[in-house]
Amino acid sequence: MMNPVQLFCWHFMAYPYLAKDFDEKESSGWVTVPNRLWDDKRSRGLYQEYIDQLVYADQLGFDGMVLNEHHQNIYGLMPSPNLIAAALTQNTSRGKIIILGNLLPLHLNPMRVAEEYAMLDQMSNGRLIAGFAPGGGPETFNYDVPSANTREKFWEAADLIVRSWTEDGPFAHEGRYFPLRYVNLWPKPLQKPFPPVWIPGSRSPSTMTEVAKRGYCYFLSSRSHGGETHRAQQEFAAVLEKHGDRYHPFRFGILMSTYVAETDQQAREECEEGVWYFLKNCLKGHLRREGRQLTYGPGVPYIPAAAWREYLKGYTPGRKLLGDVENWDELEASQSIIVGSAETVTRRIQNLIEKAKVGNLLIQFQLGNMPDHLARKSMKLFAEQVAPALRHASLKQFSEEYPDRNFASPAVEGMH
Amino acid sequence: MSSAIIDVCGRQVHIFESGDGAPLLYLHGFADVHSVKDNWLPFHEKLAQRARLIAPAHPGCARTDENKDIDTIEDVVFHYLEVLDALDLRTFDLIGTCVGGWIAAELAVRHPEKIRRLVLIGAAGLFVPGALIGDVFMMAQPEFGSRYASLREMFFSSADERNALDMFPDGKGELEDEVRRYQMLRFSSRVGFKPPYFYNYALRNRLHRISSPTQIIWGETDRFVPRSHGDTYAKLIPHAEIKSIAGTGHSVQVEKPQETAQLILDFLIA
Repeated sequence: MMNPVQLFCWHFMAYPYLAKDFDEKESSGWVTVPNRLWDDKRSRGLYQEYIDQLVYADQLGFDGMVLNEHHQNIYGLMPSPNLIAAALTQNTSRGKIIILGNLLPLHLNPMRVAEEYAMLDQMSNGRLIAGFAPGGGPETFNYDVPSANTREKFWEAADLIVRSWTEDGPFAHEGRYFPLRYVNLWPKPLQKPFPPVWIPGSRSPSTMTEVAKRGYCYFLSSRSHGGETHRAQQEFAAVLEKHGDRYHPFRFGILMSTYVAETDQQAREECEEGVWYFLKNCLKGHLRREGRQLTYGPGVPYIPAAAWREYLKGYTPGRKLLGDVENWDELEASQSIIVGSAETVTRRIQNLIEKAKVGNLLIQFQLGNMPDHLARKSMKLFAEQVAPALRHASLKQFSEEYPDRNFASPAVEGMH
Repeated sequence: MSSAIIDVCGRQVHIFESGDGAPLLYLHGFADVHSVKDNWLPFHEKLAQRARLIAPAHPGCARTDENKDIDTIEDVVFHYLEVLDALDLRTFDLIGTCVGGWIAAELAVRHPEKIRRLVLIGAAGLFVPGALIGDVFMMAQPEFGSRYASLREMFFSSADERNALDMFPDGKGELEDEVRRYQMLRFSSRVGFKPPYFYNYALRNRLHRISSPTQIIWGETDRFVPRSHGDTYAKLIPHAEIKSIAGTGHSVQVEKPQETAQLILDFLIA
């Protein structure tokens, strides 16, 4: 039986209490953002508010909840997403718990990730989707991780983790970076042969190839969904073919943000403050050229020199990034944050699914300093008035485009 | 000048060489031959008038093969021992600038007998409490997506210095210069990123082994490797003297090439 598009609720857990002049006074929201800006009084109960929003997503019938790892920044207050995931195992019963992901090169020993993910899978009764990510520019500085061999280290760690989940121990891991004499996980994960593995990438062919080789799900980490998303899907499909595999919608996921209200006008009015807070404050130092841009640059030289030469050929100095949009029209054109009535949002996301043939939508509802009641209202409207139409249309689309495929459990389908 | 690729244990090493006389090995830093420029700078040309100047590019720089198994400065030292074998260099004069100065010091504490005279210019490598070496990797992440003023300021007496603007321009510089800059950052991140940045804690306790006369040269306002590092080298290397070059930042050999080269030649020939 075919499945419809899977709709997951993603929470970044932004720090929402920055002063109005933050952008004027501070050069970055990442790594060097002064932690004296944290307001102890106002922040009391903040984690609970955010966890409760995710629990609410589970109650509303979302297919799962998405968490991720960031350090020393105001964009996402989850240095350890596994702690939030542990809380969710106790408060939810249905949706998948997706951690996208633990940043493997930042962990001294990948066994810790293998163990915590295995525990979470057991504690959640087999609901974990295990994401592994290498970390980027900011994280390199957060944990002082040399970048030149990051990818080699990342894949050794990822492979070791999956091996520890599937192979009986004890065994010795004779690795270049993480040699271990006794690997013997207690317990292994509940899901057999192992939880689905998702890997984020930004269209680099080498990441797509490594993901294809292992049969994992590819998650596009870009936040803008113009033509690039469709191209990424085609590139990934081609890489899969090359490895004797075939594309289907549940091998691919994207990140997007949305806000739904009663009318287009009301939607924009209600979310605008949170949206600009997110774009100007949370993305400063990451996806903004203003200030010091930690995500792209030669100071984090993680790709080989030949790849850097190719990158430079197509690079325009000072080009605009998502956080540099200057007005609402530019933002709309970036297709990153989809705002409007249920009808508008349905139409635009449906259009995206049709073109990008994507089966996993990871959707951010709470943006920047958006208040709890608005985030919840938008989630509820989405669940009740957008999700049914998307599911209906995508089921039809996927059945027509991939008639010979059978997906009993799409989230698990990624693994072989 | 000859620009040649030699084979060292199956790996390619890119070497510039000029001049006659006693062999003088030059290990480059950031604002330098191989790490930005594909040619000698005026400083090197002056040295090559009086010595046989040999400048290899570090692993992964210019056309020297990258070596993924370089994790620590120890691995770089061993690489250079193999280069010395390949060149059949048994005793020689040695100049190192910046990261190259660190490599030179590490080589000298292990093989003092190979080195006739040693020159360290703005050399990294030491842990000096309270005087951290500059955060070059963060400063290499551009401001406004394209501006490198803080990198220039770290390497030169000012961000507007003529050579600074030429070697580390805003925006997109000449493609191959950009690639060489990137290669140098990538190489140096292998050995210099952790611990942050550019030091080997054990080095200072080994400096007493250096037996050659040593000249230490420092920029007047070095904002990359603080002056106290030069003073520490001067104090712990048995036969060392330190000289300061007025009006320069970290990249002494670029900012005052004639004066610096003359100072070195006087020392080497003395």
